[in-house]
Amino acid sequence: MAHDHDKVLESIVGKVVSQVESDLISQIESSYAQSLDRLRASRASVESEYNRIVEAASKQAENLKRQIVESSRLAVRNKQLLLIEEAVNDVFKHAIARIDSIRADERYESMMRRLVENALDAIGTDAVLECNDSDRDVVDRIVLELQHKYNFSIEIGNSIDCLGGIRARSKDGSIILDNTLDSRIERMKPILKKDIARLFMV
Amino acid sequence: MVEVGVEYTKVSEIRGPLLIVEGVSKASFDELVEIETMDGIKRLGKVLEVGQGKAVIQVFEGTTGLSVKGTRARFLGKTMEVPVSQELLGRIFDGLGRPIDGLPEPIAEDFRDVNGAPINPERREYPRDFIQTGVSVIDGMLTLVRGQKLPIFSGSGMPHNILAAQIARQATVVGSGEEFAVVFAAIGVQYSEAQYFKRSLEESGALRRSTLFLNLADDPAIERIITPRVALTVAEYLAFDLNMHVLVILTDMTNYAEALREISAAREEVPGRKGYPGYLYTDLATIYERAGRIKNVKGSITQMPILSMPADDITHPIPDLTGYITEGQIVLSRDLFRRDIYPPVGVLMSLSRLMKDGVGEGKTRADHMEVSNQLYDAYARAQEVRALSEIVGKAGLTGVDLKYLDFGDAFEQQFLKQAVDENRTLEETLRRAWDVLSTLPEGELTKIKEVHIKKYYKARG
Repeated sequence: MAHDHDKVLESIVGKVVSQVESDLISQIESSYAQSLDRLRASRASVESEYNRIVEAASKQAENLKRQIVESSRLAVRNKQLLLIEEAVNDVFKHAIARIDSIRADERYESMMRRLVENALDAIGTDAVLECNDSDRDVVDRIVLELQHKYNFSIEIGNSIDCLGGIRARSKDGSIILDNTLDSRIERMKPILKKDIARLFMV
Repeated sequence: MVEVGVEYTKVSEIRGPLLIVEGVSKASFDELVEIETMDGIKRLGKVLEVGQGKAVIQVFEGTTGLSVKGTRARFLGKTMEVPVSQELLGRIFDGLGRPIDGLPEPIAEDFRDVNGAPINPERREYPRDFIQTGVSVIDGMLTLVRGQKLPIFSGSGMPHNILAAQIARQATVVGSGEEFAVVFAAIGVQYSEAQYFKRSLEESGALRRSTLFLNLADDPAIERIITPRVALTVAEYLAFDLNMHVLVILTDMTNYAEALREISAAREEVPGRKGYPGYLYTDLATIYERAGRIKNVKGSITQMPILSMPADDITHPIPDLTGYITEGQIVLSRDLFRRDIYPPVGVLMSLSRLMKDGVGEGKTRADHMEVSNQLYDAYARAQEVRALSEIVGKAGLTGVDLKYLDFGDAFEQQFLKQAVDENRTLEETLRRAWDVLSTLPEGELTKIKEVHIKKYYKARG
């Protein structure tokens, strides 16, 4: 009798064990399947995150490259501008140094006449002309010739320090016209600069 | 005009930014004048009035430190001109066009009058080419086209300059791959703002194709009258002589109008609204109307003036008159700004009048205009529902109303909001637009043709 009971118990235990075993196996299998699913799913998100990071990094690298290239180009261009400016200034210096030598040219006197006439037209009243010592004789001659043309007095004032040309002012000092070569060159500089820069193939 | 360089020494009065010189017989209106102080410092000005032997001169750099005795006014026989050449790109100038980047004066290809020459209206070409700015709300709903003048109406402290800089960096014409040359005029802005703009262009490599004119907050106010004109003169040269597409950003036009008011008051003119001169409209038009395209000329000038509305008041004379002249406006909303939404564009107050001609089949995408109209419509409804829910609570809303509430949030978070360095393609913008529209029931999309709904509506099936 006891033997029968043991057998029944044994078979029950066997059944329970096999039931638990199959439950466990199915749980393990389902967990495994879930893990695989999760792995698959996370792989996609990891891949997209990876792609996003790579894309952002390459975008950043592209920007950096562009920034470096453009700023280098700009730096080169700026250097070039400075060199041209230096060269243009040298040309002006040389040109100014040569002005003294053209004083002997007969065209110089006609240029001085134009400058004086311009100045007197602009002043339009009793005027005082100022020039440098080297031009004084020329200006004297011109004033003598022009005196009859204007119905106001023209005087020659003190010497001034300039390359050439004249500075005219009304007797009361309220109107002044600087027609010296220095100021005319200064006024023309931006226009002349372009022509000089062209010589440097810019 | 008088013989170039005639100087007058009889200064009878200095009144605010104005200098009155006597004994002047041959000066011309708008003539450029060089003012020399007793200690040899030179300033620039222009003739505002002539007659009875007097000339009234507006001194750009202000009259501080000038005295009646010892000040000379040299009349230069020409209106104000700026040297122009391609080499202006990549350079930085002050508000009067003088270099402040440590480099020499530019070598000029030509000298141009800063007042510009009005474009013959018959020769103007209607702007139609879509500009992709990479900013969804602009590309999708307030499309900018080449040659348009589209101002940004902002308020103090709002990120108008950040938005303008983003547009300057990202603006491109789809398909052509052409980038814009940028002419930036800072009119009375803070140093940090100008610096931000410069750095932003530098970092994106766009400085090489940009020219900056900076009149900062501590620079003379009167100089501000000239700054936008100098900038536009350069832009005109780049666009119409060198065939470039130029984007001009003028910030802040309110400071310009303030300077105009200052001069008007000094001239004792009859004041108009809020003390601004009666000719404010005409004066602003002389600036804004310098945008556009010309027939048979490849280049174009697209203008984005920025103005901060005093006390966020859109009825203030400056935004009010600007709105009459320009082709729409982008209005920044303080409410969105407070909610940390960038760009805080208040779409319901904003409009691009030329959008309809620059979008659609063959230009952008067939559904573009309809999608934009539907977004406007739905967002307007969402705002109404938001207001209603404040009163009756969410429980009192219908199912459709709740959908509109969701739409409003999605619209602001997914479509409107984007990063400062985020450059969205038009395709992405329209995809996002459809994403947010798909939060609504299909039957609510009454502005869009069935064929487009079939193709793009995402909640279907």
